[in-house]
Parts: sequence; C-alpha cells; structure tokens
Amino acid sequence: MTDVSCASGVALLMDYLEGVLPDDVRTALEAHVSGCPRCVAFVASYQETPRLLRAATDTALPTEVQQSLRSFLRSQGR
Amino acid sequence: MVVPAANPSDETLAARAAAGDDHAFEQLVTRYEARVFRLACRLTSETDAPDVLQETFLQCYRHLPAFRHESRFGTWLYRIATNAALMHRRARGRRPSEPLDQFLPRFDEQGMHVGTPDELQLAAHADELLDQQLLAERARSMLALLPEIYRDPFVLRDLEEMTTAEVAETLGIEPATVRQRVHRARLMLRGCLSDLVGVKP
Repeated sequence: MTDVSCASGVALLMDYLEGVLPDDVRTALEAHVSGCPRCVAFVASYQETPRLLRAATDTALPTEVQQSLRSFLRSQGR
Repeated sequence: MVVPAANPSDETLAARAAAGDDHAFEQLVTRYEARVFRLACRLTSETDAPDVLQETFLQCYRHLPAFRHESRFGTWLYRIATNAALMHRRARGRRPSEPLDQFLPRFDEQGMHVGTPDELQLAAHADELLDQQLLAERARSMLALLPEIYRDPFVLRDLEEMTTAEVAETLGIEPATVRQRVHRARLMLRGCLSDLVGVKP
C-alpha cells in the first residue's frame, strides 16, 4: 500500500496511535497526513476527543452516596 | 515488632482485609470509592451508579480471600466494578441507543475530507467554546446513546485510561476488536462534539 487517502488514513488512526501498524503503512500514513492540512486538523480533534469526554464526565462522588455506601456495607456485616 | 507503613500499598491492605481486618477494608473503600463511582456513572448513569458502587464493594469484600495478587488490586477491583455495571444494565433491560452514524466523518468520491481544516479541528476546542455544564450534560447523553459495544471499550480505554490489553481482558474480547470499537466510538463522539460546536462532522 503506497497511496493513502484521507478516508483510508482515518481508518488507520487508532492502530497508528497504538503503534501496531506495519512500518510501510505507517510511513505512507505519515506522508499523507504531513501534506494534508485537513487530516492534520482532523487528527487533532480525534486525539482531543478522549480528553474532552474524560473531563466532561468526571462526576464527583456525592456525600450522601458515600454515606449510604458505608451504611450498606455495615448492614452487610462488615 | 513490625511498624505498619504510614501509607500501605493496596495489596498490603487487601491481604489484611482478606485476613479479617475491617479497618484495612475501609481504607480500600476510601481509596477507591470515588473512582468506582465515576466508572459506574460512565457505564450506567448517575441514577444507577450508587447501586453499582454498593454491589462492587460487596463483591470485593466477599471475594477478597480469593484475590491471588496476579494482577494489581486496582485492576481486579475495576473488573468487579465493570461486571457489576454491565450486570446492572442488563437487569434494567435494553435501552435506546443510536448508531450515531450521522456523526462519522464525511469524505468525497476521492476519499478526501469534505470539511475545511478550520471546520475539522473545531471539535478539539469544544471545552473552550461551550458552557461547561452544557458540555457535561451532552457528554453524558452522548455516552448513553452510544451502542454498548462501543461505549464499554471507549469508557475503559479512553475515559478510565486502561491499556488496550486490560480492556480486552476485562470485556473478554480481542485487543484488535477493542481498537476497532474504540476507534469507531472516537469517530462518532468527535462528530457529536463537532455538531455541538456548530459544524458538520
């Protein structure tokens, strides 16, 4: 495989970031992305997605939930 | 005389708890309750998470004597918590989910991105462009809508930051399958974020 398009490149992104792509495929992907501003922009948002979702779903433990856990565990004999 | 360490390791506490030391068990609960609750919220909902939390520590207490220290305590507890969440969800019955395919990236006939670079990168700035409360609400509903086969590996791999191998073991699927599903989840969620900030994926 020597020719990577935006579409075929996107399909390889996860494997690329996990370091499991064969060398020739990785090189072809890097060559495409480095010359493609659309892919550079896409990769940035793809890579930020986990961080954004992680921060947005970082739910704190409410005190009343913590207290009912303690009483529940005591009621279960420990 | 052995002086107890000021900050004993999880494994030390687990061994003491397994031997009947309730104070050691309480220390483990204190150490992990917030993380287990957050995981439960991500895999179920804030409504169901308190039950999952209780079930997790009950199972943990019961199974501690069988904990063989082959994995780290945290990994072992996360596996219990994940199973408790999945069981809880199953008991609740099927919930509506959407393939969210309309949020996948768009390409023209030559396989080129349809969006411009400016449009394509905008999702990366969702936290600067949106109200935090709104983003938190939308993030929860996006996760809830995501089909479970994508949601579970995404939550464990990308939100809880487990390794692909750990996710594979926890969910009983191949690492390559984890990668495929996490990738698809990222694409759909990236598209949702893009849509939220007002551009097509």
